[in-house]
Amino acid sequence: MSTLIINNLYAEVEEKEILKGINLEIKGGETHAIMGPNGTGKSTLASVIMGHPKYKITKGEILLDGKNVLKMTVDERSRAGLFLGMQHPSEVPGVTNSDFIKTAVNARLEDGKSVSLFKFIRQLDHAVTDLKMDEDLPHRYLNEGFSGGEKKRNEILQMKMLNPKIAILDEIDSGLDVDALKIVGENVTKMKNDDLGLLLITHYQRLLDYIKADKVHVMMKGKIVKSGGLEIIKRIDTEGYDWIKKELGIEDARVIEEEEQKRFMLGSCATKDALGL
Amino acid sequence: MRSFELSPLKNKEIPSKIQELLTDDLLNYVIIKDGHIIKRELSENFSKIYIDSYENALPDKINVFLDTEFCNDYQDDAYEYNVENVNSGLLIHIPRNIRLEEVIHIFYIQENIDLVSNTRILLEENSELRYFEYLYNETSGSINFVSNSIVKENAHLSYSGISKFNEKSVINITRNNYVFRYGSSKYNIAEVNDGLTDSKTNIYLQEEYATATTKTVAITSKAQEASFTQLIEHNASDTEGFIENYGVSNDESALIFEGVGKINKNMKRSIARQSNKGIVLGNNARLDANPLLLIDEYDVEASHGASIGKIDEEQLYYLMSRGLTLRQSERLIISGFLSPVLRVLSTDTLKANFIQSVENKTQ
Ligand SMILES: Nc1ncnc2c1ncn2[C@@H]1O[C@H](COP(=O)(O)OP(=O)(O)OP(=O)(O)O)[C@@H](O)[C@H]1O
Ligand SMILES: [Mg+2]
Repeated sequence: MSTLIINNLYAEVEEKEILKGINLEIKGGETHAIMGPNGTGKSTLASVIMGHPKYKITKGEILLDGKNVLKMTVDERSRAGLFLGMQHPSEVPGVTNSDFIKTAVNARLEDGKSVSLFKFIRQLDHAVTDLKMDEDLPHRYLNEGFSGGEKKRNEILQMKMLNPKIAILDEIDSGLDVDALKIVGENVTKMKNDDLGLLLITHYQRLLDYIKADKVHVMMKGKIVKSGGLEIIKRIDTEGYDWIKKELGIEDARVIEEEEQKRFMLGSCATKDALGL
Repeated sequence: MRSFELSPLKNKEIPSKIQELLTDDLLNYVIIKDGHIIKRELSENFSKIYIDSYENALPDKINVFLDTEFCNDYQDDAYEYNVENVNSGLLIHIPRNIRLEEVIHIFYIQENIDLVSNTRILLEENSELRYFEYLYNETSGSINFVSNSIVKENAHLSYSGISKFNEKSVINITRNNYVFRYGSSKYNIAEVNDGLTDSKTNIYLQEEYATATTKTVAITSKAQEASFTQLIEHNASDTEGFIENYGVSNDESALIFEGVGKINKNMKRSIARQSNKGIVLGNNARLDANPLLLIDEYDVEASHGASIGKIDEEQLYYLMSRGLTLRQSERLIISGFLSPVLRVLSTDTLKANFIQSVENKTQ
């Protein structure tokens, strides 16, 4: 059983502080849900755990079974058992889904070893069938031209193939229709076991109808401002977030507020222009 | 073309690096070394076409090719030198209505002479040919390689190739192609030379409804300088030309793509499109794309785009987040990036050979 511990974590992007003291502990067998309005730092937290190069950690620590995650490169984190199902997965033209997944599976084995092709194809085939994905999907280029729903399912496909210890699923339910949500939910639930800790980032209760969560956290202004049981979700679902904001005495839950946001966005666009991107 | 003298062949040996490519599933090939055919393995189907080197060519066949004089209108110094000093090359003639689905693989090897090669491919009306060339040497040498192809009415040429000349070579390549009514040609060339390279593909759409695509994949490394020019000239209305370039420049190399879409006056309803994509891998590497549209007619569709930069950080992060090392991720992204040409190679061994060349150059 694995444990992920996040202690007093602060992180910034482009010199703007986004995470302002996160504390969280996830154990194998547990399922945590993080909710919160847009722009409150949920995806940033996920990216920081995975090691996205854009974010700078200014304070705090992340430990996986006592090991310092912040010292690891992105690929080391993955091989250590972390998995992030991304809100916006990249498209990689020319690289087939199955080549990519095979390389990822092999990367977990000892040097020089590789999975038997036959075994791999069977396993992939089963996972594709379980997720009711298109049969030709393994041969298509990684996420290229995938619909929103296909991309999300593809993230779960990878999770199934890689068997992580701690999996973070960032808005895995966005862009899924009811049927797809059910399939994804059931597949994730089937994967649940004492060796898998889950962190679900979502805006909707309906995901949690399919994947039971033990603990719910609400994020605002780059912090976890409330933690508790399923009763929190029920209330958010009917009343929204106003009652929490009121409790906290804030109007705007976002890390970067409106005026600031505009300036910030302009700034980053301007540099993009200058770089000719 | 002047009649020419062949220098005698030193030996008939096939270099081991080429031998490795001659796997059981590589069907239909001809190996020509320093101007002499040293091996020829062609299926029964190829008896319907004519293919031979100049030394063996029948005079009446040579005349067929010489009748297409306009090929010689093309002018530049390297080309003129080629025509004056040719010492290698093949004549390939596909008669009317012959459609060959099998790919013919030609290995051009330079060993003991400076190579001045001139290959002529003539596709008569309603014929089809899939041609692949592998240009190769191991030591050093000056390479002047020309191919001229003529694609007559409703004929279709697929022309693919790998060019892999060594670091000490000075390489000049010109591929000219003339396409007639309803004809089409598709060029897919992988340039993995290590030497100084100047390569040009010139496609002339001579009659209505002719179409052409030229895809070039090029990788430069170390102190190499290489320039790749693609020209598609529209000399008739209702013609379509597509230029696609994919480049990777590593170390302190410099890679230049010049893509020219030229639509002359009155060539209405023609389409000229071009895209250039590049990854600059080396910190001191350069990669420039200069797309050019020369259009003297209003009623046309034309576009060009270029995206050149470092390897995409989000893609790298995504692959690494699944446990691939930085190096593995880069390799996968680059091989994916180059896949437009990789896909057309006929055997797994050829694909692996291409990927290996790419890896050697992108270390
Ligand atoms: N790479 C980045 N570059 C610039 N700004 C960023 C970056 N990542 C996050 N931010 C900013 O940080 C804030 C929090 O963003 P984040 O994506 O973490 O929010 P979120 O809670 O996941 O929102 P949503 O519910 O909309 O997905 C936003 O203001 C966002 O613009
Ligand atoms: Mg988010």
